[in-house]
Amino acid sequence: MRIKGLIFLAIITALGFLISWISIDPIVESEIEYQASIANGALVEIDGFDIDLIDLKIRWDRLQVANPENTMSNSFETGEMELDFLFWPTWWERVIVEDIIFKDFKMDTERETDGYFEIPEDEKNAEPSFVAQVIGDVTSEISRNANMEFTNIKTNINVDSLMSKLNLQAPDKIDSLRNGLSRNYQKWDSTFANTKINKEIADIEKTINAIDVKKIKDPKKAIEAIKNVQKLVKQVDSLKTRAQNLKNDFQEDFGDSKFSVGRIDNWIQADFQRAMNMAKLPTIDPGNIAQSLFGENLLADYSGYLEYVAIARKYGGRLVGEDKDKIERYEGKDYKFSDKYDWPKLWIQNIDLSGETKTAIQLAGQITNISSDQKKTKEPIRFDLGGKDDSNRSMTLTGEFNYLGNEPRETINFTYDGFGLKGTKISPSELLPYPLKTGTGEVSATVSIIDKRFDSEIGYKAKGIAFDFGQNPSKDRIQQLIRDAVSSTDQINVTALVDNLDGPLKVKVRSNVDDLFVNALKSTVSKEVDRARQKIESRVRSEIGNRKEQLLAFKNEKEAEIRKEYERLENRVNEEIKKVEEKKEELEKKKKELEDSLKNNIKDRIGIDW
Amino acid sequence: MFLILKYVAKLLKALSSEASPNQLAGGFILGMIIGLTPVLSVHNLIILILIIILKVNIGMAILAFLIFSGIAYLADPLFHSFGIWILENDGLQDTWTSMYNNELWAITRFYNTVVIGSFISALVLCVPMFPLTKVGVVQYRKHIHEKVMKTKFAKALKGTKLYSVYQTVARVRG
Repeated sequence: MRIKGLIFLAIITALGFLISWISIDPIVESEIEYQASIANGALVEIDGFDIDLIDLKIRWDRLQVANPENTMSNSFETGEMELDFLFWPTWWERVIVEDIIFKDFKMDTERETDGYFEIPEDEKNAEPSFVAQVIGDVTSEISRNANMEFTNIKTNINVDSLMSKLNLQAPDKIDSLRNGLSRNYQKWDSTFANTKINKEIADIEKTINAIDVKKIKDPKKAIEAIKNVQKLVKQVDSLKTRAQNLKNDFQEDFGDSKFSVGRIDNWIQADFQRAMNMAKLPTIDPGNIAQSLFGENLLADYSGYLEYVAIARKYGGRLVGEDKDKIERYEGKDYKFSDKYDWPKLWIQNIDLSGETKTAIQLAGQITNISSDQKKTKEPIRFDLGGKDDSNRSMTLTGEFNYLGNEPRETINFTYDGFGLKGTKISPSELLPYPLKTGTGEVSATVSIIDKRFDSEIGYKAKGIAFDFGQNPSKDRIQQLIRDAVSSTDQINVTALVDNLDGPLKVKVRSNVDDLFVNALKSTVSKEVDRARQKIESRVRSEIGNRKEQLLAFKNEKEAEIRKEYERLENRVNEEIKKVEEKKEELEKKKKELEDSLKNNIKDRIGIDW
Repeated sequence: MFLILKYVAKLLKALSSEASPNQLAGGFILGMIIGLTPVLSVHNLIILILIIILKVNIGMAILAFLIFSGIAYLADPLFHSFGIWILENDGLQDTWTSMYNNELWAITRFYNTVVIGSFISALVLCVPMFPLTKVGVVQYRKHIHEKVMKTKFAKALKGTKLYSVYQTVARVRG
């Protein structure tokens, strides 16, 4: 035994412990803050961080998560937190947390400092996610309807000025489609002009004509000729296949073109709709009115909630299948004798949350199985939070983010009930500018996303309401009609449906007061709207001109030419097949004749009947 | 640099007559195990502790580590194949599974083909290498040491200031 060696080891071990004791807290804290800030898009700060390697605990006094949209406030913050992590997984660079307790959870709190965080270039995700696109579509739907004016319709619209601002898009799109079609037709012209099929048909024909059946006197020569013709049969069969392939390509190409031409009406309609929006001309129907009355408030909140889904999906998707087996030449291969160590990189098995919302609802609940790879934990993320306050306002939030299957699935249910509406306006629209004297509200939302199929419903109920119309009756006829219509209503139910189950994203908003508004508006401004509408429509159509008709005529003419060219080719191939088959039959017949005559000669000579 | 020269000088001195052949052969086989197996393995930490606390020759361990690291670089594909054979051996499956399910064994990464292949190869090699090294040391002392000490490298090493400092320190230490 080397005593000095033992002392040396003891000193090294003690030094190692001392250094890690002193330096581990700030290193781990800054790494967590950095990674979490990248994930959040704004600063995440931890105060009073402490890691206890003996008891395997992490604790902190305060966590602040800045709001990326407003960096002077926090999306949420927590007070004291304590978590226990498992020892052995850390050897495999895995963090498995059994339980976290978050106390004093608060939403929307103010910050003392700016929470801006510069995300490093290589961490930025350039491609917008599917959910982000949905948020964009919903937001544009909100802004479209926010501009609608129902009461102040301008009948003397300056169409020239409107058109100069509008910049019609359909003419350019139609021209571009025509150029694309033209290039396609040229390609087909050149395909038919350069195809070798015609030359090969001519060669086959020459070979067929050179076989003179009458001159064949010997069965051996007949067999040889049959063999040659059989080769020609194979050649014409191949020609037929090539002609068929040409036909398939041709049909595929023009199938696409047909689809593109079908879109012309949509382009024209989109230009017209933009002109209508620019002129702030509404379409007076229940859907449009409900969207203008309630859509802005309802969908703006909704977009906010979807941001959280986008973040969950981004990180859920990014880390799926993180550990792929790899065999590298000198690193060898790891064998698995059980699935004991098949842990995800991060797995927080349970979070107990308690705190209060900005509106002082005491919130408590659980979030379970947050992990970097659900296929390893075999558990989806589930959350179940809820609470009430003294004045009976309640909130519940439940849901599941499931990435176990091939398609990511998210389901979220949210309700907020019992909040007071006294003194508030139920709609930001000019149609309903009256505050409420009494009433309570309830919001509920259900969102279900399966891969890129999106289905959601947001409900809003204003119960026990009474509008404050002021003392004097309105001099405006529309306003008076609306007052009369809604004064007898003590409940407003609004439902917004956002889905893309049948194609592009659709946003539908409906309420129980839509018809009241439609009737009031139809009897007053409907005629003015129609007149202005016709004026704009006829101008848009005249600007686009007969481009559509010309394009269709051009398309039909060229397609007919190409089809004719193809049919000519197809007929030539078929004719050639027929000729080759006829020649073959002729040769078979000749061969039989020659064989029979040969047999008869032999029979005659030796006197034996075969 | 000083550390390397120190151990080269120490090794030359040990080879001449200071250390017993057992200490030299012990250092050699322990250095060989570290050299042949992936360096950052838990078992190498244990070997390193053994080198430090046992009275084996550290210079010889370093020499063996350097030689066998080079050999291992070429032999890793063979260790990989040997590891596959061992880990897929039907008769050993129960042993591997129970070892795998024990965290203490699992952190040695024995379930990796190169780790187990090279480690078992190194252990097997220890059996002939220990006596061979002892014989080699005796033969070196008898026939080669004189010649080595006359080489330019040995003379140059002896001529350096570092070596004289080392000699002085060694004398003082006893």
